[in-house]
Amino acid sequence: MSESSSSSSPTPGSTGTHVFVTVGSTRFDALVQTVLSEPVLDVLRKRGYRTLDIQCGNSDFDTSHLRRDADDHWQRAGDLETSIWRFKPSLKEDYERADLIISHAGSGTIIDVLRLRKPLIVIPNPTLLDNHQAELSDALAGLGHLRSSTVGDLPEAIEGLDKSTLVPFPQFDGSRFRELLDEEMGYQDHTSPGARR
Amino acid sequence: MTGTPGWLVAVAALTVGAILVRLYTVVTAPRTAKPSGRREAIERCSFAVFLGSGGHTSEALSLVSALDFNRYVPRTYIISEGDTLSMQKAVDLESAKAAEAPSTMPSSMRSDSRYTFVVIPRARRVHQTLLTTPFTAALSLIAAVWHITVGPLIAGPPVPEVLLLNGPGTCFVLCIATYLNRFLGLRSPKLIYIESFARVRHLSLSGKLLRPLVDRFIVQWPELVKDKRRDECHGWLV
Repeated sequence: MSESSSSSSPTPGSTGTHVFVTVGSTRFDALVQTVLSEPVLDVLRKRGYRTLDIQCGNSDFDTSHLRRDADDHWQRAGDLETSIWRFKPSLKEDYERADLIISHAGSGTIIDVLRLRKPLIVIPNPTLLDNHQAELSDALAGLGHLRSSTVGDLPEAIEGLDKSTLVPFPQFDGSRFRELLDEEMGYQDHTSPGARR
Repeated sequence: MTGTPGWLVAVAALTVGAILVRLYTVVTAPRTAKPSGRREAIERCSFAVFLGSGGHTSEALSLVSALDFNRYVPRTYIISEGDTLSMQKAVDLESAKAAEAPSTMPSSMRSDSRYTFVVIPRARRVHQTLLTTPFTAALSLIAAVWHITVGPLIAGPPVPEVLLLNGPGTCFVLCIATYLNRFLGLRSPKLIYIESFARVRHLSLSGKLLRPLVDRFIVQWPELVKDKRRDECHGWLV
């Protein structure tokens, strides 16, 4: 729940204590199940994380160790307080609150998270038929903007993550497309009065 | 003699020949980056974009947000039937842009309320069987032809000067309707396709389909540039 999570916001100087996991608009059973497994929970505790939120979408997972609060909302107390829910209209606040984000490989999620300068571990979903998503996460991992991992290697990916080595992702630069279209449509100057800020 | 009169055969052959020649010239017309005639900074340019829902819409609106809204007027957002989410996102962008427009500008010049929506049926719904796809695709094409070819002829709003596309499939029918205009010698929009940021090493299906047809084919990862005369990469655009 938001009250419990906000009370544990990171103290200045620490690497932060809140983890957010998101699977996007479909489902990713293996990711949710793995995040809830002891090896991952252990390494998260060891790295100092105290709260874990999981946006699970339509995933199926073992809920036997969880307390069901409401429809599509599960919780577990303890030294890694866990909260699981299916969907929200916007995840922006969840991204902003997180000190580490573990996500599916959707390009929208990746861009949003990286532009908020949040450490990101991406797990491409191997069950997707058209697995072009892995191409994007691999390419961005190659450039150092994020870490790409598999469900099986997630504990090692969390353990080995050194946030200081991540390369900041560039902010949106609209001038490229604006200049491209202006030129194509015959405008000679690239900064019209209305475009100036 | 019961055979077809010779003159009819000749007329038919000439007609078919003329159509083929016209088709050939339209399809093979040079698509190199040939800018439109020079425009003054204060001139306007009508603009249309297809919002293909989900990630397509997000990327398309991100591109649109970069534009000068006082320059690209009027704006037409083409959406698929039932895609209220894309419509809402476009309205949000328009409101945000209107709010940042300089307040010193006369109200007639303000960019708000200078946009419209055009709705066309989906060419193919997710999970739709292949059997019925030709019918929905035909309906989709009819709607596209109505808005791009017929409407502007019968005093509807004029056809936009540029049409921005980034997938998925339904944007193909807009491309076909544009080619119908070119075939008939009518004014037609310049077609600009931007491949998704998510495509690093392989083009999307819509990218492969539209690549030979559009005027500018722009990808966001250099590995996708296969033919330097046709494919362009200017880095990340979204």
